[in-house]
Amino acid sequence: MTPARRRLIQVLSIAALLAAWEVAARAGWVDPLFVPAPSAVARAVGSIGREAVGLIGETLAKTLVAYVLAVALGVGAGLAIGGVRYLHDVLNPFVVALYALPKILVLPWILLAFGLAATPAVVYGVLQGFFPICLLVAGGVRDIDRTPLRVARSMGATSGQLYRKVILPAVLPAVLAGMRLGIIYCLLGVLVVEMFGGIRGMGFLLVTFANAFRAPELFAATALVSLLSIGVVLGLERLNRRLGHWR
Amino acid sequence: MSRIVLARLGVLTGLLGAWEIWAARGNPLLYVPPSRVVPALGRVLRLEAYPTLLSHLGVTAFEIVTAYLLAVALGLALGFALGLPRHVGEIYEPLLAALYAIPSVVWYPSLMLFFGLGSASKIAFGVLLGFFPVVLAVLAGIRAVDPHILTVARALGAGPRTCFVKVVLPAITATLVAGLRAGLALSVVGVLVGEILGARRGLGYLINDAYGRFRTADYAALALLALAVVLIVDAAAAWTESRARRWTEGAAG
Repeated sequence: MTPARRRLIQVLSIAALLAAWEVAARAGWVDPLFVPAPSAVARAVGSIGREAVGLIGETLAKTLVAYVLAVALGVGAGLAIGGVRYLHDVLNPFVVALYALPKILVLPWILLAFGLAATPAVVYGVLQGFFPICLLVAGGVRDIDRTPLRVARSMGATSGQLYRKVILPAVLPAVLAGMRLGIIYCLLGVLVVEMFGGIRGMGFLLVTFANAFRAPELFAATALVSLLSIGVVLGLERLNRRLGHWR
Repeated sequence: MSRIVLARLGVLTGLLGAWEIWAARGNPLLYVPPSRVVPALGRVLRLEAYPTLLSHLGVTAFEIVTAYLLAVALGLALGFALGLPRHVGEIYEPLLAALYAIPSVVWYPSLMLFFGLGSASKIAFGVLLGFFPVVLAVLAGIRAVDPHILTVARALGAGPRTCFVKVVLPAITATLVAGLRAGLALSVVGVLVGEILGARRGLGYLINDAYGRFRTADYAALALLALAVVLIVDAAAAWTESRARRWTEGAAG
């Protein structure tokens, strides 16, 4: 099957789903109080648009700060744990355990300790993003084929050359994979804090609409955040491919 | 080996010690040193802090089990429906992967709207989180089945049913069991997140309640209890996974 044909069927499937949903809502098969028609959701996008754009900006700003910190800390720790065998043996079980444990348990404490502004959202976003990034990078570094390194060294490469020409290109895929996964976790962390702490942003907006039973606006806001998130991930993937060519 | 274990213990002790010293200097409402968490945990476990603890734990356990069973059933059904026919998975897996790129908690307010603040919304969120790894594992497993073996089996006269039971199922078991384990962990997280974001019963509700009343030591003790639940569930899953792996390796060899 050609990619174009696959894409066509995907688009048609989504269109058919939306059409069926619209028909079901108009015919009264589903309660419009809970499941509004796509056309009503589209109108709601227009009505919440102005408010949503500002709040998306706030949520994104917090996510970006959390993401930069999580990437810096996660890549640094991942390179150290993946590159130094002793550190890996000692610290990896901690990272794996902390990655697996539900971070939501410390969320109340983070709100208590860091107040109700942007800080707890950033802290929790970093907490969510750090461990997956660190684990992916550490795993990637450990899996590097060491032969090219030995060959380059025996052929007299300087350490600067080794780093630029051998180590960096070999480590890059793991770092990029970590960065791609990390952004979802950071956004998730920020949204959870906004929801739970009632902090300005898209998370709080979603909860407000849900509590007020404003289903069309809720669906519209959910769709906006979802599209935003898919867009960011696809953007990072494109960047990955670019850098892949460069390698 | 033992030197590494010692180093790990050293790291752990260092962290706990640093926390003890740090917490002693901070606001006691915010910073609970380990020396205060241990007695609080004792009171929680003896049902002195929360006499109704067991019924709340029961609610959480019920939500987790229900959510996980539904997640597995839905995940297996959708996974095989997409994976077994040719081309269907090719078309719809990218859409599924795109959904996976959305932070799951975005869906929680809608689930709250549909299912209210009771157990149903927590179960629904647990299903939503737990179901993805199962579907993706089924799809990955089916993709990895060696087509030559299937061709040979068919040539030797195996019907679709025999092919499925004797070739596909053993080949995907290892991947599938890993997916089932990841799904379980996520179902647990989903239920806990749902309870903490807003509930009237359950372990998450108690944690929230303790935090809301500044009973920080109790909060820390309850959080540790929740961690213990998570660890026990995961240990059980890991044991099952290793058993399943041994079974498939035995079948292959």
